[in-house]
Amino acid sequence: MTDSPKGVWFHCLPRCETYLPCGAGRHIVRWEAGELRLLSHPDAEAELVLAALGGEKARCVEVAQAWERHAEDLSVLAIGPRGPADEIAVSWDDVDAEVRASQFGGWTAYAPQAGGRHPGPGSRRGPRPLAPPVPARYQQPMQDREQAARRRNDMLSLLALGYGFQVRLIGQVAEAASGWPREAGEKIRPSLVAAITARLAPVAEEWLGIDPGQVVVTLHRGPGWGSAELIGRGEQRRLRFSLPAGWLALVWAAGLALTGRHLVVAVERAGWPDARVLALRAPGTEPVPLEVHATAPGPASGGLDVRPGAADAPHWEVWEV
Amino acid sequence: MNGERAETILRLLAEAELRNQLAPDPPPWAGGPGAGRVKVYVVGQALSAVGALDRETVEDVLADFDLAVGLRRLHRARPAITRRAASAARLTAQLSPGRPAPPPNPPGPPPAIQAQWATVAGGGPPESTGSLGPAAPVPADPEQDAADRFVPIGLTVPFHQGGLSGELYLMSFAHTRAGARLIVLWGKPTLSRDHELGLQQAELFPVDLFTVADNRGSAYELDFTPANGSEWISQINLRPVPPDGIRWLEVVAPPGPAVRINLDPASGPPGGEPEVSAANLSAGEQLLIMLAEELLMVAAQNSPAMRPELPALSPRVMQTMGTGLGDIIAALEAVDMLPPLSPVPAQLAALCESLRIDGHEIAAAPADELPEPWLSLLTYYQRRKPDTAQVRDGFAAMTAALPELDGIRLALVGLHNTQGTTVLHVLARGLRREERLGPHGADLDFPLSFWLRDNGGRWHAARPIGWQPTDPEHSIGLMLVPPLPRSTAWVEVLAGGRSGEVRARLPLRWGAPP
Repeated sequence: MTDSPKGVWFHCLPRCETYLPCGAGRHIVRWEAGELRLLSHPDAEAELVLAALGGEKARCVEVAQAWERHAEDLSVLAIGPRGPADEIAVSWDDVDAEVRASQFGGWTAYAPQAGGRHPGPGSRRGPRPLAPPVPARYQQPMQDREQAARRRNDMLSLLALGYGFQVRLIGQVAEAASGWPREAGEKIRPSLVAAITARLAPVAEEWLGIDPGQVVVTLHRGPGWGSAELIGRGEQRRLRFSLPAGWLALVWAAGLALTGRHLVVAVERAGWPDARVLALRAPGTEPVPLEVHATAPGPASGGLDVRPGAADAPHWEVWEV
Repeated sequence: MNGERAETILRLLAEAELRNQLAPDPPPWAGGPGAGRVKVYVVGQALSAVGALDRETVEDVLADFDLAVGLRRLHRARPAITRRAASAARLTAQLSPGRPAPPPNPPGPPPAIQAQWATVAGGGPPESTGSLGPAAPVPADPEQDAADRFVPIGLTVPFHQGGLSGELYLMSFAHTRAGARLIVLWGKPTLSRDHELGLQQAELFPVDLFTVADNRGSAYELDFTPANGSEWISQINLRPVPPDGIRWLEVVAPPGPAVRINLDPASGPPGGEPEVSAANLSAGEQLLIMLAEELLMVAAQNSPAMRPELPALSPRVMQTMGTGLGDIIAALEAVDMLPPLSPVPAQLAALCESLRIDGHEIAAAPADELPEPWLSLLTYYQRRKPDTAQVRDGFAAMTAALPELDGIRLALVGLHNTQGTTVLHVLARGLRREERLGPHGADLDFPLSFWLRDNGGRWHAARPIGWQPTDPEHSIGLMLVPPLPRSTAWVEVLAGGRSGEVRARLPLRWGAPP
């Protein structure tokens, strides 16, 4: 995580938690202050050591590992939700089905438990070779498929945490990307441009009624928030934005992008539930500072099935201009 | 080369297609389920083909796109992409007529395209892609011309032994720095009753029966290798390499007599000197021309007249091949691989209009005129009746060494007709066989436009269907569409690359079977 003078990227995001099936029960996983916390596994490190020795690995721990593996993975930006209207519904049953499918496909690196029982939700043994030695010419394709299956399983698990976690992971990835050195940053610029376009376009459509395909984004680096202009007419109309990668973390992930008919371009003072942002009334105008206040409706239902969905995302209102 | 720009274009296209495909009411230009992936795939291949983007990046973008779409469709009733894949697979399966042996590949879409349709629509991993661009040059060979010698033959060597009878057709003799060999075609053998009943094992290619000697009395060891990936076409390599100055070779097989091959090139029928003209095509234009020719060949092989029993299929095949053409052109322009004033996009648009492909999305207005070879093949596609009789089997002796084009040297060493298909045999230098596929099955390993015009004025497009890679020469079989009738007395070869165009007129000496 990086601190900026205007606050840490996640300061506009409240705590978020969900239950997930782990072992015989359901455990809480919480995201708070930029970190994933496993409340039912106080010593996850020790559990990992046990798993490496052949013990069962708890699903909570696997999810935390997947989170860590993908915290700087730009694919998260390409796969994750584009906004509340793009909620990706993945259940833990889907995750289990995917794991089983990859195991029975014969390519996975994970073996079923001793005794032949199907691995139940949240309990899988550590890596163990399944098959006899594989001829060399098949090893690379096999490794590729294993990697693809693991990546897919990781993504499914992370998405199964719910929308609230999904946007926070996107925020974390974007924040990490914005901290890359300039030379390395050039390599990831296409992914970031696509990621910002993907999430700004639906916001701009709601803001101005513009076709999402007419939103053009470039990556802003350097001082200032960036720029915005509307040019052309009809089919040639373009809404051009230059925004930094951090916009995804500070603004979009916090649900601030469109607040009180303003398009928020930067956060001046991060905080929850009160913050001060810079926002545009219209393209081509100077951004104005706004004091904003958030309310989170909270989960629609209680109990063990709660997952933070798009409907639970914070709702920001302009408090004071 | 601006790889960053190319990657941005591809990622933004993937984003737009994801938006279109997942919209509750997809816009008409979205092209239906699966089309989005096809577009991302073919644009990625095109950018990779011209060297603007590496293959790994294309694969990464596609993997993300597939996962993004797949996860969002997880709980939809019937995944449309899968339907499309099944449909494509069904379609391509129906299009494979399947034929017995001699020709290396059946007519219809080449295997590369068939595989690609199923893969592309269904979300499988992309095939390899590669660079069309100013060729990763295979080292030039300045001494090649001096050493090369190509002689058309056009003779038949009959053989009979142990109940097996047949003929070996000698098409040409080629002597290059890679060695000396005869390019031959095996005739279908006649088997004795014992062979037919399986009582005695038949050797279909009885290479040990043959001996070769020259006018100085020197005998040669013979090494038979398949020429184009098919054993019916062989090269008989002579070892040691015959010295310069020998006048003839004699090929003998029991019961004889010997067949004498005159190695004086002047003994063959006269042909014209190749004419070379300069060109300056961009990598993007070259790729679009290859796509147009691929389109024409597939159209010609799947025209309604050709497949009247499957009237609904041909248009669907063509629609699939038109998908993403507009996006490819836009992407090539955006990475400066296609000049904005290039006439090729408009020609491609006109071609699509002529083939009634309405999903191409090419922004350029259709051109008023098309290149003559394209028009000729279009006419063939649009014929109302199928050809009444398939072209007769046979082979034609002809040889020509074409001047170098884009670092590639081709030597034509014969052609043959089998079961309605014509295959032209060439020896090629300056190519690498990496099985690189471009959009819609374009063969990037053979980055040339290649046409034959027969003496009746009809043009025949050529593309590789068999490839025997050897160092430094490759033996390649080019299938001609439409096939060449045996009444053809001469052909004009037109080979086009980025840097120029070669034309050569060649007489044909048709041989057996009668």
